[in-house]
Amino acid sequence: MASIRTLHILNKTPDHPRFNRCLASLGSEDALLLTEDGVLAAASDRFTGFAGPVYALRADLEARAVEVAGGTLSPVDFEGMVKLTTEAEQIISW
Amino acid sequence: MQHSEPFSFTIVITGAPYSSQAPQTALGFAKAALASGHRIDRIFLYGDGVHVASSLSSPPSDESHWPREWSQLLQAHNIPGIVCIASALRRGIVDEGEQKRYELSAHNIRPPFIIAGLGEWVESGLRSSRVIYFHGGSRA
Amino acid sequence: MSTLIIIDSAPYGDWSGREGLDMAFSLAAFDQSVTLLFIGAGVNWLRKGQSPEGISQKSVEKNLSAAPIFGVEALLADGRDCQTYGLTEDELIASVSQVELGPELLNQYKHTVFAG
Repeated sequence: MASIRTLHILNKTPDHPRFNRCLASLGSEDALLLTEDGVLAAASDRFTGFAGPVYALRADLEARAVEVAGGTLSPVDFEGMVKLTTEAEQIISW
Repeated sequence: MQHSEPFSFTIVITGAPYSSQAPQTALGFAKAALASGHRIDRIFLYGDGVHVASSLSSPPSDESHWPREWSQLLQAHNIPGIVCIASALRRGIVDEGEQKRYELSAHNIRPPFIIAGLGEWVESGLRSSRVIYFHGGSRA
Repeated sequence: MSTLIIIDSAPYGDWSGREGLDMAFSLAAFDQSVTLLFIGAGVNWLRKGQSPEGISQKSVEKNLSAAPIFGVEALLADGRDCQTYGLTEDELIASVSQVELGPELLNQYKHTVFAG
């Protein structure tokens, strides 16, 4: 019951070279999960251009006091992260 | 009642404890996978991730002890913990066999971790339904 | 379907690329289909004429030249990154194909893996 082509797990800050490579590699059936320092994307103006679903680990958002602007991304816990990995055909950790 | 098929996971950790968040995020993921009824086939430590298997890590008592927490989880659920031999020997993570072979002064692998080759990782890609990687954060 | 190993760190100053190469060789040794992709500073692995004797390291160029023999199916490099680092086609080691990193490329592989 895979509904996501590729789940991209991004744990790098927007300053990291891998951050933009990840964004440029998102396909139309893909989903993005921000973890660790990756959640800082939610506070950055460099985070635009992907229309697909974006998730972020709630504990990492809370740890860094990053507020999520309405509707831009969905916070998930680890159970939600596990579920995403089972719904994706492929998972890439950046 | 409908049940979704349980998945089998291999978790690969390449980021070191105390220099990255990788072992901690991987631990949260592993616990949630087990709680959701999935199986974990093995943990594979690669690159800097091998430091998770050090029995000599001694963080201050008010900080989380990631190597100990990992070994406790593996023991409680009978999950094999595999440390890549090439990554481990370069970084000074050694079992008794390698200590003898290289005539080293000590061994320091934390049970239940064992040292093995990349073949274990190759097998993960063939056997597990999902292989999830937890990398370090800041390194370019 | 094959595994794509991506190397995005420069050679010599960082070890994670070598560990990516080990992964690729290991897959090939177990008869698994594998391709190497170099992106970002990783494209510097592919420059001809490396002589690392002065820094007491083994030549990654030599390691890479063994890739086809070991069974690595293809060596790919992001074309824009080659341009960024001034790598023209005749400065690249033999048998490198230039591609563009993106969803079309990644969708061709079953697994895509960074070594660290």
